[in-house]
Amino acid sequence: MNRLILTVVFACCFTLATELAPMFESIEARSGTAGDPLLVLVGDSRRAFANQFFSMADRYFHSGYYPTIFDARKKGAANHLDVAVHEEPGAKPEADDDDNFMGKPRDKIEEFGRNFIPTVHTHLTGQSAEEILPWLKLSAEMDPKRIDTYVTASFWLRTQLNQPKEAERFLREGLRANPDSYEILLELGRVDFYSRSAPEVARNIWNEALEKWQAQEKAGLKPDPAGRDEILGEFVREDEKVGNLQQLLADLEELKKDSIGTGSLEKYIEDVKERIAHPQ
Amino acid sequence: MNNVIAVAGVVIKELYRRKDFYVLFVMTALITLVLGSINFFNDDHIVRYLKDACLLLIWISSLIIGITTAARQIPAERESRTIFPLLAKPIGRAQLISGKFFGCWMASGLALIVFYFFFAIISASRDHSLPFLAYAQAMWLHWICLGIVIALSLLGSVVFTAPSSNSTISFIVVAGIMFCGRHLNGVAVNIGGVRGDIVYVIYYSIPHLEWYDIRNFVVHDWGTVPWTACLGATIYGAMYAGLLLGAAWLIFRKRSLTT
Repeated sequence: MNRLILTVVFACCFTLATELAPMFESIEARSGTAGDPLLVLVGDSRRAFANQFFSMADRYFHSGYYPTIFDARKKGAANHLDVAVHEEPGAKPEADDDDNFMGKPRDKIEEFGRNFIPTVHTHLTGQSAEEILPWLKLSAEMDPKRIDTYVTASFWLRTQLNQPKEAERFLREGLRANPDSYEILLELGRVDFYSRSAPEVARNIWNEALEKWQAQEKAGLKPDPAGRDEILGEFVREDEKVGNLQQLLADLEELKKDSIGTGSLEKYIEDVKERIAHPQ
Repeated sequence: MNNVIAVAGVVIKELYRRKDFYVLFVMTALITLVLGSINFFNDDHIVRYLKDACLLLIWISSLIIGITTAARQIPAERESRTIFPLLAKPIGRAQLISGKFFGCWMASGLALIVFYFFFAIISASRDHSLPFLAYAQAMWLHWICLGIVIALSLLGSVVFTAPSSNSTISFIVVAGIMFCGRHLNGVAVNIGGVRGDIVYVIYYSIPHLEWYDIRNFVVHDWGTVPWTACLGATIYGAMYAGLLLGAAWLIFRKRSLTT
């Protein structure tokens, strides 16, 4: 009798398994966690982990000088890794003295305790910037939809570490996970323009980036207007590099349409018109 | 003094007879080596994440060794009734407490030497540099911290009945101090009033174990902590360990051994 019961239970389990296995596989495929036991394990909390790892990259960028959850941080204070990415090409991130989250020590114990923690605000530069990369890679592994991670990693790979190939590989990985991202395409174009001196290739990629931005706007997704300005700004630099003044004028006019500060743009446009009228 | 050394010697022998240290060391080594084998963007010079992970594992392992070793000393002697012949010999309770403390502390120190040697090898293999002074200072401060933790755990072993509850409470207290001890004054200011004053009293009363964790200095190549600060922390640690051991002795000398 016992054997019979065990056989029936086993048959039930077997049948149930054949029914449930495909169901779980489809759930895994939909959530993008198929084949990765770590992602299955952490579930939806992986986004929180991704943000934490991105913060770790920023902590490493500051060589351990970083506020904890107890330290007061300025409202709206941006992550310095992000800020550096959106700075003008060639601009180097600098330590800002007013961003001292520690303030003056409240008592002798705190004053003494500061001997044991980094208290100087610095940024990693040059080859040492590579130390932030493992955390960015982990962040992307945890949340492949986090676009900032790909753009930031690529920025440091191409500007400080001279690794455009790795930057492109990582961006393409990001593009597979986020096919509609104009940010990744913008950065991908920068790899070709600044690191490989291939302006035509870069322009094609930026064209696609602009199309993606416009598509998002049409769809009512409210893409960041600064993104459009950044793309058009790169067009202008590309026109300057190849010496295509007519296209430069057209791109400047396009850039002027929605830009806020048009004073310097007006002057630039006049200058280009002058150069077209009186070629050297 | 000979009695203290004899008791301490037995505790040190216990460390290498038990499997705890070997298991923790193998796990630390294994996890570090697996992390080190991961390829990030074909860059084999990246080292800080590895140093960070290795040091974190060393801290966790050393706390487990220190707390669990100290927590079981007196209860195990009482349970197996070996404490009676031990105290029947010309050994006072103060000597027993001191011997147990020094034994646990020395055993933790030996474990730390092995752990930091491994850390130095791993770090040097990637970094191609060996900041000996920084590593030695980190290990020294770590050891002083373990001294306070072991003293705390020994105090717990004469207060709580079971080693398991003592270990758990010790872990929570140590983790709590290391995580938020440095920030309690800020919390007290934010709370304000009488409750703020209470938090401030706690802030001044707790042993500031977070001072001894200079992983950020080691990982991010900040060099050494000022030596005067290191000396100050050593004296502070010695005083605190002495205070906790004194409290343990005060409780233990009046404690019946049969219950």
